[in-house]
Amino acid sequence: MDRSGTIIHVSSTFAAGLLFLAIFLSGLSIVLLVRKWHREPDRGAAPDWSIPTIDAYADTPSFFHNWDPAVKIGSLFPYCFLVVSLKSLFWCAVALIVSLLALFFSNIPWQRGLRRLTAMSGFLLMFLLIVPFTSPAKPGETLILLPMLDSLPFHLNGFYLALTIVIKAFAIALMMEPMLGTSSLPITLQGLVRLGVPSAIIQMILLTHRYIFVFQQEIIRMYRSMRVRGFTARTDFTTMKTMGNFFGMLFISSFDRTQKVYEAMLCRGYQGSFPTFSLPQTRREDLAKGGLWIMIGILLLVFDRTLPVLAP
Amino acid sequence: MHISDGVLPTTISLATYALTLAGTALSLKFVRPEELPKIAVVTSAFFVASLIHLPLGPTSVHLLLPGIVGALLGPAAFLSIFIGLFLQSLLFQFGGLTALGANALMMGVPALVCGLLFQLIRGSSLLSNTIAGALAGGLGTFFSASLLAGFLFTSGENFLGVAKLALAAHIPVIIIETAISAFTISFIYRVKPELLMWKQR
Repeated sequence: MDRSGTIIHVSSTFAAGLLFLAIFLSGLSIVLLVRKWHREPDRGAAPDWSIPTIDAYADTPSFFHNWDPAVKIGSLFPYCFLVVSLKSLFWCAVALIVSLLALFFSNIPWQRGLRRLTAMSGFLLMFLLIVPFTSPAKPGETLILLPMLDSLPFHLNGFYLALTIVIKAFAIALMMEPMLGTSSLPITLQGLVRLGVPSAIIQMILLTHRYIFVFQQEIIRMYRSMRVRGFTARTDFTTMKTMGNFFGMLFISSFDRTQKVYEAMLCRGYQGSFPTFSLPQTRREDLAKGGLWIMIGILLLVFDRTLPVLAP
Repeated sequence: MHISDGVLPTTISLATYALTLAGTALSLKFVRPEELPKIAVVTSAFFVASLIHLPLGPTSVHLLLPGIVGALLGPAAFLSIFIGLFLQSLLFQFGGLTALGANALMMGVPALVCGLLFQLIRGSSLLSNTIAGALAGGLGTFFSASLLAGFLFTSGENFLGVAKLALAAHIPVIIIETAISAFTISFIYRVKPELLMWKQR
C-alpha cells in the first residue's frame, strides 16, 4: 500500500476536553465582547484613526542607523525574498530569530514590531485554522482524526505549512523597522532613488505621506461635526448614505486642494523635483554589512534545501 | 484583505512585482508630469478613506475603494494604488513588502477596468451616474476578491480552502461598497460633476 501514513486517532475523552476548552474560550470571548459593547455607551465616539510615523526612532545610532540607506535596502530587500523562499519550519524559525535580533540591535522599541505582527494576525489566523483541514491528502502523511470529524482529518503537513507561512510573515514584518524605520523617510526614499526607482514616484510617495496627515485631521474634523449633529454609525441605510456623502466631500475637497498645493509649490520654485542637499557616501563598511545580510540569506536558503528540518 | 509576506511562492511574488512595475511605468506615461503632485494629494485622501471602518453588526469593515479610485483617476489609478499600498505596508504592515506586487495588481487592475466601465455606462443623468457608480464600486471589490482568491489558489492546492473563505468574507464588503459608491458618486455628480470626466481633466 502506498498510503502507509500514520493516522493518529484522538480518543473521545481527549477530544471532548479540547471541545470543552474551545467552547469555554469562545464563550468567554463573546461575553467579553458583549460587555465591551455595552460598556461603550458612546459608540459613535471619534474612532482611532491615528497613523504611526515611520521614522519616529530614526535618530538613535545603531548598526542599522549608521548604514547607508541605499545599501541597506539594496541588501535587506533581496534578503526578504530569500526568506520567503524558505520551506522548512526549522530554518524559518532561524530567520525569525535573525529578525528579532535585528529589531533588538536597531534600538527600535519592540512594541513597534508587535504592532506590525498584530496588524497581520487576522489574515494569518485564517491560514492556521483553515489550511490544516483543507490540505489535499498526500501519501505517507500523518493525519490526526478527531472523533465525530471523520470526514475532516487534521493534516499535520498542512499545519506545518500554515506555521511556516506565519513564521515567515513575522520574520519579514519584523525586518521592516530595521530596514525602513532607521533613517528619516526622505533619506530612506533618497536611497531608493539611488537604487534606480524613478524620482517621480519617490516624490509622489513623499507628498502623499505628507498629505495623509493633513487629511487625517480633515476627517477627524468632519466626523466631529457630524457627531455634533447627532450622527451615530450603525448598520443601516442612513449610515451608508451619510458615509457616502462623507467620502464624496472628502474627495472633492482633496481635488480642490490639489490645485492650491500645486500652485504653492510652483511659487516656491518647484521645477519637477525636490532638491537634495547631502548625498551620503557609500563606505566600505556599508557594503560589508550588505554582504553579511545577503550571506545570511543565502546560507539560510542553502541549509533549508540541503538539511530540511520539519519540511511540510 | 491584503496578502501578507510568506504566503505567495517566490516565483509568483517576483512575477507580480514585474507586472506591477510595468503597470506603474505605463501609468506614469499616461500622466503629464505636472499632474503628478495632484495625484499624490488625491492618493492621500483615498488612503485616509480606506482607514475608516463602517460598522457591520458586531464587527466592522473598511472599504477597498478600487472602483471609485478608477472612476475618479482613470489611467492614473494604478499609480495611485501602488503608492497607497506601499505606504500602507510601510506604516501599518497591511500587506507585506514582498507581496506588494500581488496586492497592487489585486487592487489596480479592477480599478482600471471599473474606471473604464464607469466612463462607458455613466451617461448624463443623475440616476445613470449613480447606477454606474454602484456597479463600479461593487464590481471593483468583487474583482479584487476574485484576484485574491486566484492568487491564493495558484500558490498551491493547500490554499483552496483559504481562497474560498476569503471570497466568502468579501460578500458583505461588496454589498456595502456598492451602496457607498452609489452615494459617493451621486454626491460628486451633484456637487462637482467635472471630477467624473477624467478625459477632459
